[in-house]
Amino acid sequence: MNAIRNFAYKPGDHEAEKASNSYLMSLIAVMAGLPLPIINLVATLIFYLGNRKGTYFVRWHCTQALFSQLSLVLMNSFAFWWSVSILFGPESLNNSYIAYIFTVFVFNVSEFIGTIISAIYTRRGMHVEWWFFGNLTNLICKA
Amino acid sequence: MKKVAWQAIVLVVIFFGTWFVLSKVNWMNIFKIEQLTDNLEEKLGNLFWDIFNKTDEELNTPDITNALDSLLTKICISNNIDKSKVKLHVLKKDEINAFTLPDRHLVIFSKLIAEAENEAELCGVICHELAHMELDHVMKKLVKEIGLSVLVSMTTGSGGSDAAAEAARLLSSTAYDRTMEREADIKAIDYMIQADIKPEPFADFLYKLADDKSGIERHLSWVNTHPDTRERAEYIVEYCRDKIKHNEPILSDKSWNSLKESLNY
Repeated sequence: MNAIRNFAYKPGDHEAEKASNSYLMSLIAVMAGLPLPIINLVATLIFYLGNRKGTYFVRWHCTQALFSQLSLVLMNSFAFWWSVSILFGPESLNNSYIAYIFTVFVFNVSEFIGTIISAIYTRRGMHVEWWFFGNLTNLICKA
Repeated sequence: MKKVAWQAIVLVVIFFGTWFVLSKVNWMNIFKIEQLTDNLEEKLGNLFWDIFNKTDEELNTPDITNALDSLLTKICISNNIDKSKVKLHVLKKDEINAFTLPDRHLVIFSKLIAEAENEAELCGVICHELAHMELDHVMKKLVKEIGLSVLVSMTTGSGGSDAAAEAARLLSSTAYDRTMEREADIKAIDYMIQADIKPEPFADFLYKLADDKSGIERHLSWVNTHPDTRERAEYIVEYCRDKIKHNEPILSDKSWNSLKESLNY
């Protein structure tokens, strides 16, 4: 899922730290914001906006972190509102709901692990590109 | 661009594929969810019923139990409701009230039966409460107002008797939300039509309670706990306007009169 690739230039230590923080930001926000699915996106978005004028390496990783969080927000929001409608609304617990929660859990854990790996490697100045999100970021984030 | 689009499609397919495959597993059985829910409801039902049973006298005379059992049996059979699971209780109390507790306890206060002018009015209230049961409104209301963790702690004995009493009070003296009440009313009408009971008297009963509110307001818990009584009566009339209705009395005049007389009002 994650591949280490060559970047356009070798990032400095300060850049590596900032880029790594973009992933850490989403991890901390996930832990602090559960079960609300929007918190991690908001945290990553704030970090992204704060680094819009940063170096290419920092911007690239902030964008990748933002995209990865965006997909999670969609899945988690649906899970959140489905849970609310089961607890307080007309829906009742069923196999589809439990299967959906498991699916979302698997995707969240994969994302969580991927984010930790990215944070570690990026801190060392390595360029980590995620499957799909890396290519999407390449399309949008230009030097 | 093409590569990204393909990867996006693959990602979506993986997500929905995983969901589809996992939804084929019978998780409800694996986690014994229905059994756990039933156990929780049974414990809560017994806990709350004990609270009412300790404070108010239950009326068990044959005239009352036989008459109400006949009404309940007819409604349940006509609507494929498992009557053996419904626990019907009549409490001697000067309040016009009826409510449902978890585990299908249906509690009716004697004053409500006394105020009903005919069996259809009483059947309307019974059908309304049965609808709350069938639509699982009771547990939803408890979870919403009290919280699942508090409910579970009550059943393990660590929640405290005050919390249980408060929850019982909540069920007997506060309303469900407007959507739930409407759902229960509409379902009650369907039950009545299915059981060959005319639904209009149910609306009449609500009109009567709404009109008479000033005089006996303090006794009208069922009105106070079911707001907008007049509005409810109006949409009940509207809903059953075009329905084909038959009216077959369930109780004989003698049984109905015996029921009323045995309440001593």
